[in-house]
Amino acid sequence: MSKGGPRPIYTEPDKRVGLEDLAARVKDGAVVAVGGGLSSREPMALLRAILRRGVKGLTVVGSAHGIDIDLLSGGGAISRSSESYVGFEQDFGMAPNYRRAVESGAIRVDDNCCYTLVQQLRAAIQGLPFMPVRSVRGTSFISLHPEYKAMVCPFTGEEVLLVPAIEPDAALIHAQYGDAQGNLLIEGTPVYDILFAKASRVVLASVEEIVPTERLKELRGIRIPYFYVTAVSEVPMGAHPTACYPFYAYDRHHTALYYEAARKGAEAFKAEYLSVFVHGAPNHSDYLDRIGGEKTRARLTSWRDGTEAWKQLYVEDATA
Amino acid sequence: MTSCTLGEMMIAALARTIEDGTLVFHGYGSPLAQLAMHVAKRIHAPRMILVAGATCGIDPDPPFLAPTTNDWVMDRGASSSLVIDELFDLAAAGRMGRMFLSGLQIDRWGNCNVTMLGYPEIKLKLPGGGGGCNLSCDVAHITLWTTAHRSPKDAKGRRRFRLVKDCDFITNLGHRTSDDGASRDLGHRGNGPQWLVTELGLFDFDADGHMRLRALYPDTSVDDVLESTEFEPRLAAKIDTIPSPDLPVVEFIRRLDPLKVHEKEIRAEDMARGFEIT
Repeated sequence: MSKGGPRPIYTEPDKRVGLEDLAARVKDGAVVAVGGGLSSREPMALLRAILRRGVKGLTVVGSAHGIDIDLLSGGGAISRSSESYVGFEQDFGMAPNYRRAVESGAIRVDDNCCYTLVQQLRAAIQGLPFMPVRSVRGTSFISLHPEYKAMVCPFTGEEVLLVPAIEPDAALIHAQYGDAQGNLLIEGTPVYDILFAKASRVVLASVEEIVPTERLKELRGIRIPYFYVTAVSEVPMGAHPTACYPFYAYDRHHTALYYEAARKGAEAFKAEYLSVFVHGAPNHSDYLDRIGGEKTRARLTSWRDGTEAWKQLYVEDATA
Repeated sequence: MTSCTLGEMMIAALARTIEDGTLVFHGYGSPLAQLAMHVAKRIHAPRMILVAGATCGIDPDPPFLAPTTNDWVMDRGASSSLVIDELFDLAAAGRMGRMFLSGLQIDRWGNCNVTMLGYPEIKLKLPGGGGGCNLSCDVAHITLWTTAHRSPKDAKGRRRFRLVKDCDFITNLGHRTSDDGASRDLGHRGNGPQWLVTELGLFDFDADGHMRLRALYPDTSVDDVLESTEFEPRLAAKIDTIPSPDLPVVEFIRRLDPLKVHEKEIRAEDMARGFEIT
């Protein structure tokens, strides 16, 4: 899947752009890798900006996702999904918009598996056309993915499966900190973000805070060096309603509101969610107002007050 | 306290499948398996390497179970963390001892479908299997579980079985392949499904790789199992009774899951079931 030629390296000393400019770099039909996973560190503000621009025909590749891919599905931006999981775990269940879009044929199913994806990204990272896996053989993924090829290892005689490189057009990543040059500091599990950053042609990052490079060095946690990163935008609460610890916890309350709208159907989702929180909030500060502003931020920061406060965020009837 | 719930019975049954000194992993959306791993680590398998799903924290000691797996709650107290590629490399290299998997369809060979009902014509899109496809092939032993084995008739008298004869789509490999070969001939690292824990019984897989009933709960019968299973499971020579957990296990589960996150997995009609503990 390489588009030809080595991926560029990015050396501009100042890559800071606004959120809308960041979103403008995602073109119709692009193959995008969305960072974070499940209810944590997903680049939600960037995805909302992409939806407001009316981007269409995206192919999404990734591992374990939830509200990010479901939102893009409900907003009509995806035409093919190569994710390995899209859902809301046992808490809310299946992803309603994603499921509707797949079952209606709007999204072509091209499901992947986590380690297969690791190997496909590694092939791209290493500039190789494919990588082998031993697993997958015997499952239905063989017929879903006729591009996979079995071969006998010339050294040991074992059968392995060759899976082609995946080089996404763009990685969309939300990190805790970055600097003007594009260095990214990720706290907690990076999920696939480092693999995505290395394998993608373009890396678009939003961060909670842009700080001086000296500060990043002190924090000792640069996980993605600047030259992989194309552009960076400071977007506080940019992962909401997913978590971006230590800044804020997962907003289960907002997710419940989202899920209820999505569950009711495509039209209800448009009226009750998209038109309020995506198209109805022309920029990120409007969005922050709509989710309850400072009060919501304070509630989601309260996880730092100790176990009881943290637990309280997940009590079923927790309200904003 | 003289009784425990079905969820606690199932957690204890899942925990018993974990051997000490092995590297064990659970996926997301799996609170019963998550709790079972913590029970095993605290009670009978202190040298088990507990790798938390999603956060990939090693041997964490979370203050409570969060309703989502990828949350900092879940890796508090971890001594270190793996990165995701490292985790899957460990499995691919044959160093992972056990993994817990499930499916919206589980067939007689222990294959699981988490991808779609109907294939190639999709009737219902399921969330997808995450890394289950790879791990089902790579991990030494697999424990399967489901809380929805019972399949009552709908208004038209039809049953939608969870335990089906054949999966529509094989997401996670069991003992026979999508083209009806023996999985063992493929040279995978793993030995496939070893146990299946459902809300009706405990199963293993015989020498042919076929599902076999091994034990029942004190309140379930062979007929309950047969009625809710699309195929005829084989029956062990002696059908045991699944033992209740000891009091410390039950107390530990209640301390670790004060929000009762695992009860989201249990059907309403099974919430009323109680089991005596000694």
